Amino acid sequence: MVLGLWLAVAAVSLFWTPWSLWWTDGYHVWQKPSPSHILGTDGTGADVLSWLMAGSRTNLLICVLTVLVTAVFGLLLLAAMLARTALFAQASVVVIDALISLPTVLIALILAVPFGPSVAVIVAACGFGYGLNLARIARPQAMLVARSGYVESALSNGASAASVFSRHVIPNIMPIMMVQLSISAGTVVLAESGLTYLGIGVQSGVPSWGHSLATSVTFINVYPITVVWPGLIITCVVLALNVFGDALRDCADPLSNPELRAVRGRVEASKGSEAEYV
Amino acid sequence: MAENSNSGDATSTTTESTEQFKAQGIAPDSNDQADLGSRNVSGDQSGSTDESLNSYQRQRKGMPSWAWIIAAIAAVAIVVGGVFAYQRNNSGSDAAAASDSIAIGLTLAPTNLDIRNEAGTALDQALIGNVYEGLVARNSENTVIPALAKSWTVSSDAKTYTFELNADEHFSNGDALDSKDVVWSLDSVIKNEYQDYQVLANVDSIAADGANTVVLKLKKPDATLLWNLTGRAGLVFDEDASYDAKTQAIGSGPYLLKSFKQNESLTLTANTKYWGSHQAKTKTVVLRYITDTNAAINALKGNSIQVLAPITENLSASIAKDSNYVVKAGNDTDKFVLAFNGKGSKTSDKRVREAIRYAIDNKALISSRGGADAALGGPIPSLDPGYEDLTNLYPYDQSKAKKLLAEAGYSTSNPLKLNFEYANIYGTDLGNQLRSQLKAVGIDLNVKVVEFSAWLQDVYTNKNYDLSLVDHNESHDFYNWANPEYYFNYDNKQVQELYAKAVASTSDAEYESYLKKAARLVSEDAPADWLFNYRVTTAYRKGVTGFPLNLNQSLLPLWNVQYKA
Repeated sequence: MVLGLWLAVAAVSLFWTPWSLWWTDGYHVWQKPSPSHILGTDGTGADVLSWLMAGSRTNLLICVLTVLVTAVFGLLLLAAMLARTALFAQASVVVIDALISLPTVLIALILAVPFGPSVAVIVAACGFGYGLNLARIARPQAMLVARSGYVESALSNGASAASVFSRHVIPNIMPIMMVQLSISAGTVVLAESGLTYLGIGVQSGVPSWGHSLATSVTFINVYPITVVWPGLIITCVVLALNVFGDALRDCADPLSNPELRAVRGRVEASKGSEAEYV
Repeated sequence: MAENSNSGDATSTTTESTEQFKAQGIAPDSNDQADLGSRNVSGDQSGSTDESLNSYQRQRKGMPSWAWIIAAIAAVAIVVGGVFAYQRNNSGSDAAAASDSIAIGLTLAPTNLDIRNEAGTALDQALIGNVYEGLVARNSENTVIPALAKSWTVSSDAKTYTFELNADEHFSNGDALDSKDVVWSLDSVIKNEYQDYQVLANVDSIAADGANTVVLKLKKPDATLLWNLTGRAGLVFDEDASYDAKTQAIGSGPYLLKSFKQNESLTLTANTKYWGSHQAKTKTVVLRYITDTNAAINALKGNSIQVLAPITENLSASIAKDSNYVVKAGNDTDKFVLAFNGKGSKTSDKRVREAIRYAIDNKALISSRGGADAALGGPIPSLDPGYEDLTNLYPYDQSKAKKLLAEAGYSTSNPLKLNFEYANIYGTDLGNQLRSQLKAVGIDLNVKVVEFSAWLQDVYTNKNYDLSLVDHNESHDFYNWANPEYYFNYDNKQVQELYAKAVASTSDAEYESYLKKAARLVSEDAPADWLFNYRVTTAYRKGVTGFPLNLNQSLLPLWNVQYKA
């Protein structure tokens, strides 16, 4: 429901916000919530609700892009780690293990120096970091699949490595991916606010929840109520994304869902296809 | 566990083994396993601890309980009584006399103490007037007052200054301070190009005339000389002392440097052998450098500092309400200058520049910052010579702004787009506010908040900008407007001539009147909008006296400061 609301608000903010983003009133800064400003005003006298609504758009964009980058990058790395050239596969495992120790914030800092703070920096840094995690976590399961009897039989039937990867490996690691990607989506919302607070996130003037949080957090002792709103939204959305990931896993993973296992047993008995439970 | 994970037996039905499989096979996260392991271990331990505790309690049951209770009550009574007695004693002694130490919270810390080579106002703030003294000094109204020199005379052609030193001056190490030290100090500033040596460019010669007289000759009259001597260029050092200037300081002032911890604190103790009348009133003064504003406020509330300067006006609200504190704003010379590139493709059009000035609601900006700052309509703030209230030249008037923009050829279909680049040390609020204010008259501002180094490159060096924002905090810095090479790209011959005449004038009145004329010309040309004159807000505990409120970010003589709890 939270996620649905998020999508809806982001869509609405494309056309309408209660106040224009570029409306400020220096005489009425840090106002308490009132009928005209439902969540009050910030330090420039701008409407907090409008900024948060517009911010949902930026955060949604960051979330979707990061998930895509994570998925693509993670699968590429996974493919490298499953490569049949043993040396290449082992080298990639070592390299990934080494890179995984780099904190996302550090990567973002390195990127922000030449390119300046922007949405792209967040997406690139987080996509990179989370992609490494995804590949590392999915590897054992993927190895099991890659060495399974059906893959061997597929290979002996002349299937290419690429088709084995896409038809057998990816469907098998889908539950893990779902969980990882939903965690990534949640974490990137947190990362956005953290990086923006450090000044290497979204650029100034671009609305985002991190921006709203960063501009009000200095004044937490004087105007605590203004900090609550972005904080609350970020918490809710991150929680919702994690719960959503769990739910997805429950739907897709036969190991955690006995009902699905029963269905799968029947389906397998009748059809023998793996695609059904994905 | 190991069996399950290896076999990958998906048909096992008990929930327990499924759980184990999840932990091992699906999410082989080492943390999970470690958690499981440690939980087991700690479980065992807590069992054994409980066991021993139980046996201990069983043992103790044999003791007579009433004896324990009486002993406990007696112990509590003794402790409470002691604490009360101690407090009463303490408060009695505190109320009678001033505290012999005071801690002051500041923001900008000096990197080292080498005042002759290291830039930054944090050094002026900490050392000038406290450890080091100059020939002359400044009062809180920014005018020149006697210091080491008790008096001076200026020849009628304004080219010879004769300073008369106080008798029996000496440094804190006991060395006598006489005219030889003054001549050596000023000469070495010029010779070694120490900080601020440029302000002595006009000096022809400095010579001692007896032990207590110094004669300074100029190549041409310089009305700024005396004020400039109140700064670093006029400080007098001990020629014979040898010390590491980066970590130590030996001067003639009312305080001695006790210790300096980089980015943390600087401790001053009273110089008991001070030569002058400004004897320090507090024995120990600690300057604590706290960059985080909320941490600084907490330090003030927790009484680990008694004064905080500056405090963000908007953050001071909670303290101002508390009757234990005083919050006051003092005047300063910080000018928040929104510069319009004089040679920019669009901002070279005077109508555009005027339109921007009309479109900016300076009072709204000041109000949003808490209302302490002062409106400023021109390049000279109220504490500098030549100040005149010029806020009426370009009052907030959106219709005039729109009219001028239309004349310049801009409309809703062809809006004026400008790049606004400034350093991130000034925060994002001002950029957002200006963007929204200018949008109201049809100007699209592309706001770029960048690292200071990027700003130095783009704006200061390459002058590649339309609009930029800088807090020019220096006093007496009108010369920037007479310098066509400066990043403003402002080139007005008349202003340059007036400024040259002002500097060459032989009396203060003449100097001020030329500056006034020049400042008005500059403001009329609209090469910038002076958003506001920042005023520094100081918060301190009730009972603190003698703390300078004006200019205290660059000038902080502390001899008079005192704290009575």
